[in-house]
Amino acid sequence: MSEKDFQAHEIRDQIHIDYKYTLGGQSKFFIDLKNDKKLQGTRCKKCGKVWMPPRIACSECFEDTEWIELPHTGEIMVSTIVWYTTSDFIQKVPYAVAFIKLDNADTGMLQGVFSENLVPSKIRKGQKVKAVFKKEGERKGKMTDFFFVPENEYENWISKPEYEGGE
Amino acid sequence: MAIIGVGITPFKARYMNRTYFELAYDATKLALNDANENGASISHKDLETTVYGIYNELFERQFMPDIFINSYIGMNNKPGTRIASGGATGGYTVRMAYSEVASGLSDLCLCLGVEKCNDCYDEKTGTTTPEVLNAIAYSADMTYEYPMGMMAASSYVSMVNAHSEEFGNPTEKQMAMVSVKNHGNAMKNPKAQSPMEISVDDVLYSRIICYPFKMLDCCLYSEASAALILASEEKVKELGIEQPIWITGVGAANTDCFIGNREDLGRLYSNINAAKSAYKMAGLDYDNIKEQIDVAELHDAFSGQEVISYEELGFVKFGEGGPWIEQGYKNSGEGPWFEGELPCNPSGGLIGCGHAVGATGIMSTGEAALQLRENAGEHQVPIEKGRAISHSIGGPGAAYAAVIVMENEEGISNK
Repeated sequence: MSEKDFQAHEIRDQIHIDYKYTLGGQSKFFIDLKNDKKLQGTRCKKCGKVWMPPRIACSECFEDTEWIELPHTGEIMVSTIVWYTTSDFIQKVPYAVAFIKLDNADTGMLQGVFSENLVPSKIRKGQKVKAVFKKEGERKGKMTDFFFVPENEYENWISKPEYEGGE
Repeated sequence: MAIIGVGITPFKARYMNRTYFELAYDATKLALNDANENGASISHKDLETTVYGIYNELFERQFMPDIFINSYIGMNNKPGTRIASGGATGGYTVRMAYSEVASGLSDLCLCLGVEKCNDCYDEKTGTTTPEVLNAIAYSADMTYEYPMGMMAASSYVSMVNAHSEEFGNPTEKQMAMVSVKNHGNAMKNPKAQSPMEISVDDVLYSRIICYPFKMLDCCLYSEASAALILASEEKVKELGIEQPIWITGVGAANTDCFIGNREDLGRLYSNINAAKSAYKMAGLDYDNIKEQIDVAELHDAFSGQEVISYEELGFVKFGEGGPWIEQGYKNSGEGPWFEGELPCNPSGGLIGCGHAVGATGIMSTGEAALQLRENAGEHQVPIEKGRAISHSIGGPGAAYAAVIVMENEEGISNK
């Protein structure tokens, strides 16, 4: 087929699906987050490993886990600051994301780290962080109900009208 | 079994004159032509099965895109299977095609990868990329990770930053050297999307994407198709193939898809396990692999990950990847450079060629096969041992990995 005089035809389109999905066995984590600002992990009944995010079965032992409330403090395992990103988040740059190991947990969870001082030398491995929550009524039982801040900025963040501390 | 034909379309930002199934047709035809130049006399009607590598339905705007290709390339009433393993789709597709032939289900199998991402379009910015990234971001865990703004680059950078915290490298300069190398190698590859002669400073001062990755540390999403024709040993003889490239090792492994669950954040045990099992199958030695192969086509979606891959694939010890590329930057004939002791990505890799996800690992494998046939063109590197590897990783937290070992007749006979 000749490429000479080729003209392309384009059509604007989108794929859109609505959901109302169940969190299944992890539902308690989201309910307690929304109602009580609790961070619920799970502990394997056999090996004692503490999973966060929670899972109702231990993937290593193939045994049930039990719920265990975790403290709101933890430490950054690894992090980055994002300056260019997906269409859903590009209006929010720069923002930091980090894998955070809560005290007493054995695994790390991904969360946003908010800071007045968003630089790589501060938002990095070993930084102590504490959870800050959206106000009652604003929390929807989703991961975006909370975020972490460097420990020394905690009082500052919970004094803002839209946020509150959890402990 | 052997690769008897390789077909790779140019990697481009966007094909306005091709849909994904039209691109797949092009690569299939190129692979058939190549097989026929390699001694065969076959048409598409001789192909017995197909394995399709297509990563993302949202790119193609089509669920089950493989069946539309299957009909378009004349494979009706024959078996066809699709593989989707993120960035590792290509490597895993080669693995499945290997299984088709090794199991005896097929003597002549088409291994076909394609991706066409840049039909995605972000109306707000009037550009494609943020929407392409969005379509990829749905590969992250949708409950715990996607809502945090996780994307491909921030996922890979987590491994790289953890590695740097542990070993003090790769430094930003050493990562930039990967970009200089791969963009530079692509200058010799007419099918590459991003051939560039650039300096370390050019990379360091390019736009920040996510710390410490800059724009030139990242591959571009590309549109392309790549195809291999795999034949059983009997079929190779029957067809009179002049230069069969034997697949002698196939390894794959998946590490934890949640980075926070991993024991060591700064390395991918999937890469280590995939490499070890592929080398073992080929009768090669993980601790001595650098001396046993001529060339490696690696999955350099991001510069820093290529450096870590040197270590995970056994070229150098852990913590020595950054110094290895720097050594070759300073001294010609060393490190992973084009003229180095083990050229890595002479094609330009993903950073130089572009990343057409489902096609990428098949392109890498095809490129390695062409190198072993000493038929790669201007980016041909010296072939002395007769062995090469290709490497694919991808998925959430780069959890999937596949490594393929290939050998030419000499490689097999001088073991």
